[in-house]
Amino acid sequence: MPGKTFDVCIVGSGAAGGVLAAHLAFNGVDVALVEGGPRIDTRTAFNTHAMPFEFPNRHIPVMRPGVAGFDSERSRGVGGKTQTWNAVAWRQSHRDFKGGSIDGAGVDWPIDYTDLAPYYEAIEREVGVCGNLDGLEDLPDGVFLPPVPMKCSDVIVQRGAAKLGVKVIHVRKATRSTPSATRPACHFCGNCMAGCDVVAKYNSADVHIVPAMKTGRLQVFSDSIAREVSLSDENRVTGVRFLNRTTLSEGEVRARSVVVSCGCVQSVALLLMSKSSRYPGGLANSSGELGRNFIPHFTGGVQCFLRDLIGRPTENDEGFLDHAYIPSFMHTRKRDYARSFGVQFNYQNRRGVGWARSMPGFGKAFKQSVKERYPAFLTFSPYGEMLPKKDTFIDLDTERKDAYGLPLARRHVAYGENDMKIFRDMQRWSVEILKSANAEILTVYDKPATNHELGGCRMGTDARTAVLDANCRSHDVRNLYVVDGSVFPSASEKNPTHTIMALAARTATHIAETLRKGEM
Amino acid sequence: MDSRRDTLKIIGAIGTTCAFPFGADELYGQHAHVPTDAKVADSAPYKPKFLSEGEFAVISRVADLIIPKTDTPGAVEAGVPAYIDSVAAANDRHHGVLRAGLRWLESKKFLKRSEAAQIALLTPLSEAVDKNRVKTPPQRFFLVVKNMTADGYYTSRIGLVRELGYKGNTVLSRFPVCEHPEHQG
Repeated sequence: MPGKTFDVCIVGSGAAGGVLAAHLAFNGVDVALVEGGPRIDTRTAFNTHAMPFEFPNRHIPVMRPGVAGFDSERSRGVGGKTQTWNAVAWRQSHRDFKGGSIDGAGVDWPIDYTDLAPYYEAIEREVGVCGNLDGLEDLPDGVFLPPVPMKCSDVIVQRGAAKLGVKVIHVRKATRSTPSATRPACHFCGNCMAGCDVVAKYNSADVHIVPAMKTGRLQVFSDSIAREVSLSDENRVTGVRFLNRTTLSEGEVRARSVVVSCGCVQSVALLLMSKSSRYPGGLANSSGELGRNFIPHFTGGVQCFLRDLIGRPTENDEGFLDHAYIPSFMHTRKRDYARSFGVQFNYQNRRGVGWARSMPGFGKAFKQSVKERYPAFLTFSPYGEMLPKKDTFIDLDTERKDAYGLPLARRHVAYGENDMKIFRDMQRWSVEILKSANAEILTVYDKPATNHELGGCRMGTDARTAVLDANCRSHDVRNLYVVDGSVFPSASEKNPTHTIMALAARTATHIAETLRKGEM
Repeated sequence: MDSRRDTLKIIGAIGTTCAFPFGADELYGQHAHVPTDAKVADSAPYKPKFLSEGEFAVISRVADLIIPKTDTPGAVEAGVPAYIDSVAAANDRHHGVLRAGLRWLESKKFLKRSEAAQIALLTPLSEAVDKNRVKTPPQRFFLVVKNMTADGYYTSRIGLVRELGYKGNTVLSRFPVCEHPEHQG
């Protein structure tokens, strides 16, 4: 569409991009959505119901044969990671936003829980979050659909944890436990993270983007891999330049404002690639902070067998993956570190039996021992909060390029003293809780591994130490926004997507108002 | 490859039976969740790609000793040797380990031994693996073949469904609440 100038161009169609597109389009704003991957037909694209033995190498590919999407880090498909996420949806609490002041380590967010609470609620109403009202100060309740019952194994862990004064609650997920007019309830078929072909689990493509397209206010440019956010001599962004995913031909969308929502690391990479004489170190990077303050979650991990279930009949319990959660509890206890951790557990599906390798011996006894333990297997994954530090950052690899000729993003991760104290403590607690639940421990991971990617383009009131202001708006370039995990000044230990969606809704409101007032 | 084409057909069929968007009532009748019993990967006749016929016979015997037939079929019947060969064919890094181990077994006239003698030959290798003290080529061979056998067996229909009793991938209108009295309170 040559000549057309959109009000807003959003780059990326995941949790943030999808919410932004819908909230803006329904508010009468003209939106272009640039997505590197193809449009995906959720009901037919994914191998949701495949079994490993349908494939000679026993590996279930993400996409059905001949279906494009999710083929590389830079190009996933409309819906982004919400197509394959596990849908865990927590509200962050006051402690998470103001941890810098409370703990004296890390930094505060420029906003507080009360700023985001109305948007958390709006998102819950739109996406459908099931969960229990637990009344925990650290994990604010919301507007929930009924929780999904705990598994037998969850109840056993809950009982064990209770002996140590640790709470196990129902997980909260953006998966419908009751049907709506357009989405069925979850039917517990089991493989949520392979892509939910009935959209009981939220994905941004079906729930936000497709309905928003019907307004006529949203145009989706799929298969369009963003390579640069363009900047004018007047220090304003003017649009986004992209490459067609299959033809590699160049294209451009022009817009009065741009929102970068490519998923933490890729957003940072796109800004770093968008160099100009004004910003030689990357767009909107006068602070030099772009790429710094990368604070991914790190996980530990324990694999075990619940003795109460060894030798019992196998249950049909993989549907919906994890049904329970251990919210952060250390922040109220004496500890020698800042921050805390939470535990996701029992999310394994029963189509994989990788742990069988680790059972000792061979022959009939080995076979018997795997069979007996199969119904009792359980994984435990504590998530810790990383503090920002100098040697954990994102940059571009100037040597290596991806399939599209664009520089690859590099993640540099170092664990500091506080991180390792959390890691050791969360591993120790995990083993204690499982032992208290009468578990036979199989493996305890001795090294942390990074998970949810956060930080790298943080919000903050001070333009010298933060890339974005409290509205996710660039301090340097006033018609440029970034919304996704990269904007988190501190990570908390909670799965971030609900907060990303609430931030997207809040930013959409801000952008719509700014446009209406003619202040963009 | 015929088996592959059959697999594609099955997957395609699942896709066309789904409709979206639909209400909950419409869903349950339309959804094909249960893996079909049509010919799939692990029931096709197999010609080794990496291993020679002789080596394939040795690997088959080792795999069947690791997961033998009991009241359910063992590794060979579950197609594990074919799985091992196809994984090896696709990964150069396994070649040296497998060939070294196979040469060693050949030097011990493995296939000519009694079952008890075969088990006796493998037992010290397995013990080294369990103690995480894998040093020699035969020990490395056993580790790799045991891992591949476990992977291949428990991802086969025989291993996952018949042996372990996998029950998932179905439609449940409600998730069953734990009612075991001993798990309450």
